[in-house]
Amino acid sequence: MLRASADLTETTIDLAGVNGNPDAAATGVTYGRELMLFAEAVASRNEDRLRDAREALNRIAGPAVLVDAAGVAANFQRMVRIADAMGIPVDNMADESGQRIRQELNLERFPSARNSLTKQPV
Amino acid sequence: MIFDYRDSPYPIRPDIPAAHQRFWARLARPGSWWTGAERVAIASAVRSATKCEYCQQRRAALSPYTFDGAGQHLSEYATDDLLSPRAIDAVHRIVTDQGRITRRWVDDNADHGLSREAYVELAGIVVALVSIDEFHRALALPLEPLPEPMAGAPDGYRPAQARHDVGHVPMLPADGATGNEADLWQGNRTANVLRALSVVPDAVRAWLDLAGAQYLSIDGMGEFGQPGGRAINRMQMELVAGRVSSYNECFY
Repeated sequence: MLRASADLTETTIDLAGVNGNPDAAATGVTYGRELMLFAEAVASRNEDRLRDAREALNRIAGPAVLVDAAGVAANFQRMVRIADAMGIPVDNMADESGQRIRQELNLERFPSARNSLTKQPV
Repeated sequence: MIFDYRDSPYPIRPDIPAAHQRFWARLARPGSWWTGAERVAIASAVRSATKCEYCQQRRAALSPYTFDGAGQHLSEYATDDLLSPRAIDAVHRIVTDQGRITRRWVDDNADHGLSREAYVELAGIVVALVSIDEFHRALALPLEPLPEPMAGAPDGYRPAQARHDVGHVPMLPADGATGNEADLWQGNRTANVLRALSVVPDAVRAWLDLAGAQYLSIDGMGEFGQPGGRAINRMQMELVAGRVSSYNECFY
């Protein structure tokens, strides 16, 4: 979705931000570095990191951005658990754009990749 | 008043507490496979899972399925007889180690009393609690006390069109949003993540309601620029979403 929104708005981004590279996160995305570090801190459950990231995002982007980012981060703390707990595969593994992104981000290293890469019993 | 954010240091859009309030009402009511008391107990187990030292150790183990001590661990939490040890274990695994859940484990639970339908409803409660509590934690807001459960029996509703095609559990097929489930998605336009909980349709309704406030509605997902009513644009949203998903090692 990040790639799709960048393409549709003709914005140059660096997907390595998704894997935690702060400079990449800042490429083409306003407050990208702070948003990425905030998202990472939420997922890490490290309260010290979260406090620092929250304060940094609020300071540079303001409370409305912080609240919306908190909503999205919390929502995806849920979405990953739906996907993995139900074992759902990627909808279209043959899609070339998706294949490129998964390769670029090296997503096959994740244990849950088996839900998409392994033929499942029916 | 529940989810009263007037004392929050950050102004919070009113649609967010409204969605949280609606989920609290859903949580307290009997579901399809669990009573209201059991549903609230599942929610309580979500909160204990985040503090569970055993689960942290199991998450660090090479395999979660050969890690010792599960019986003692679960007996510490199975104190009120509302939830079986398998149900508590399911809650804890979804919260703390969801990436290593396997179909074999789901099948084994089903063979020992935790049916796939009950597991789906349980998971729906877990993930909704996670999203609401994580929103609070992200903003350093206190957690909302859990609701008082309502009396009544689960209705045992299972959509007739559900079938087991992909994943660990039965789901509605893409063309299965019909009849009582016609509101879940439009025509055949769906995705596996939307179908995932659909053997318990109210679990899908709950996640759509929460997602519409915390992220985007289904209609809003078609907006790739600046979604209405949001302070961040779609790229900013997806960067946050992508980093959370990557950190959680989610392939999907």
